[in-house]
Amino acid sequence: MSKVLQKSVPLLMILPGLVLAITIIGYPIIDLAWTSMQEVSRFGKLSGFNGFDNFAEVFADPLFYGSLVRTGIWTLAVVGGTLLISMPVAIILNDDFFGRGLARVIIMLPWALSLTMTAVVWRWALNGRSGLLNATLMQAGLIDQPVEWLATASTAFTVEILVGILVSIPFTTTILLGGLSSMPQDAYEAAVVDGASGWSQFRYITLPLMKPFINIAIVLNVIYVFNSLPIIWVMTEGGPANGTDILVTYLYKLAFRFGQLGKASAISLVMFGILLVFTVLYVVLLSRNEADAAPEKDVKDEI
Amino acid sequence: MRSKLRRSILYWLVLLPLVVVILFPFGVMFVTAVRPRAELFVYPPTWGFSEFRWENFSEMWEKTNFGGALLNSVYVSVTATVIALLLSIPAAYAMSRYHFSGKGAYRTFLLMTQMMSPIVLVLGLFRLMMALGLVNNLNSLVLIYAAFNMAFTIWMLQSYFNSIPRDLEEAAWMDGASHFTSLVRIFLPLAVPAIAVTAIFTFINSWNEFVLALTMMRSSADYTLPVQIYAQVAGRYQVEWHHVMAATVLATLPVAIVFSWLQRYLIRGMALGAVK
Repeated sequence: MSKVLQKSVPLLMILPGLVLAITIIGYPIIDLAWTSMQEVSRFGKLSGFNGFDNFAEVFADPLFYGSLVRTGIWTLAVVGGTLLISMPVAIILNDDFFGRGLARVIIMLPWALSLTMTAVVWRWALNGRSGLLNATLMQAGLIDQPVEWLATASTAFTVEILVGILVSIPFTTTILLGGLSSMPQDAYEAAVVDGASGWSQFRYITLPLMKPFINIAIVLNVIYVFNSLPIIWVMTEGGPANGTDILVTYLYKLAFRFGQLGKASAISLVMFGILLVFTVLYVVLLSRNEADAAPEKDVKDEI
Repeated sequence: MRSKLRRSILYWLVLLPLVVVILFPFGVMFVTAVRPRAELFVYPPTWGFSEFRWENFSEMWEKTNFGGALLNSVYVSVTATVIALLLSIPAAYAMSRYHFSGKGAYRTFLLMTQMMSPIVLVLGLFRLMMALGLVNNLNSLVLIYAAFNMAFTIWMLQSYFNSIPRDLEEAAWMDGASHFTSLVRIFLPLAVPAIAVTAIFTFINSWNEFVLALTMMRSSADYTLPVQIYAQVAGRYQVEWHHVMAATVLATLPVAIVFSWLQRYLIRGMALGAVK
C-alpha cells in the first residue's frame, strides 16, 4: 500500500499544474474545433452544426490567401534576416575585444523592451510628417521630403519586417552564443596549424558544429514570428486596406471586430495545424540534440 | 596587444550600424517624452527642442490614468507569478528527483504548451472566460498568464533543481528526516535564487503581455499598462505623443533595467534546459 502511495507522490506533485494547463490551454482547442463546425450568429450564438462550411468559406476568401502569403513572407524574411545578422554578431561577441561587455548589453537591449512598447515607439518614429526617422534622414541630407512610411502597404510591411528582425536579434544571438561558447578550441587550433583561412574555418568547423543551435534558433523563431501580433497590430492594424494583414491580425479582426466567429475559429484551427507541425519538428530536434549531447550517459535516465 | 586594438576597432565598425538602429528608438522615446507639446509636430521635423519639460510626466500620469493601469498590471503580474510558482515548484521537483511513468509524455506536453501561443487560441480563451463569467475581470488574465507561463517556469526550475546535488537531501534522509522535512529545510533554501529568477521572468512576461489583455479587458478602468498605452495611440485623431512616450518610458524603464541585469540567468537556464 505504501508503495502505491510512494509511486503517486510525483504524480500528485504535477497534478495541480496539469489541471490548470489542461483547462486553460486544452479547453479552448476543443471549443475552437467545436465552434469551427457551427453556424455562428453575429452575436456569437451557435446555431447548429454546418459541417465544413466555415472552412470552405475560409478557403474561398481572397483575404485569407493574401494573409497566408504575407505570413509566409513575414516569417521567412524576419527569421532569415535575423539569422543572417545574428550569426556574425554572435561570432564577434564571442571573440575577445575592447568594450565587449558594453557591446553585449547594447545588442541585448531590444529584448528588454516589450513588443508593444517597441511598436508604439516606432509608430511615432515613422510618423509621416514629424517622425524622428524623417528628421534624421532630412537632417543628414539623405531625403529632402518627409516620407510617409506607414501610408502604403508595401513600405509599411517592409518596415515592419525590419522592426521584426531588430527585436528577434537578441534572442537568436543568445542561442548562437551559447553554441559558440561550447565549441571545442582544439579543432580551431588544429585548423590554424593546417593553415586554414578564417572563411574555411567558419565553413568547415563552425557551421557544422553550430548546426543544432542554428536549427533550434530557426524553429523557435519561426514559431514566435508566425504568432507575433503586436508589431503589425500596433503599427498599422493590418492596414492600409488589409495590405499588411498576416494570419494572426486577420484572425483577430474577424473574431473581435467583425464577429465572424465560425470563420475565425476555422482559421485558428488551420494555424493550429501549421503550428503543430513546427512544434513536432522542434520536439524531434530537441530529442536528437539531447541524444547527441549525452551519448555516454544513460539518456533514458535523464528523460 | 596592437592586434587586439585593431580587431576591436574593426568589430565596433561592423557593429556600428546595428548599434545605431538599436539605440534609435530609445532616443526617440526620451527626446519625445521631455519635449514641449508645441514642438511635437514641427516642420521640418527635427531632433532639437527648446527645453526639458519634466512636467510632461506628471501631466501624463493624471491625463492617462497611468496609476490605475499600473495597479492593474502589478496585481495581474504578481498574482499570476505566485500561482505559476506555487504550481510549478512541486512539478519541477518531481521532474528533477523522481522517476515515474508518464514523465516523458508530461515533458512533451510541457513543450507543446510552451509552443502554443495564446493568439491562436485567443477566441477559444475568450469564450472560456465568457463561460466562466470572467470577461472584464483581471482574474481571467491571472489564470491565463499562470497557465501559459508554467511550461517555462517548470522548465527553468527543473534545470536549476537538477544542479542542486542530491547528496544533501540523501544525507538528511539518513539522519532520519522525512522527505517533506528535507524538502522544506534543505532543498528549498538552496533553490531560492533559482525561484527568484524564474519569478522575475514570469513577472516580466505577464507585465508585457498585450493581446490577451486587449481581448479580455473591455472597459478602460481595467486596462493593464500595455493596453492603456496602446489605447492612447489607436483610433485617435490627435495623439498626445509626448504623453505616450512619457508613459512608455515609465512603464518600461524599471522592467528593462531588471531584465538586462538578470538576462544571463535566463541564458543560463535556456542553455541548461533548451539547447543541452
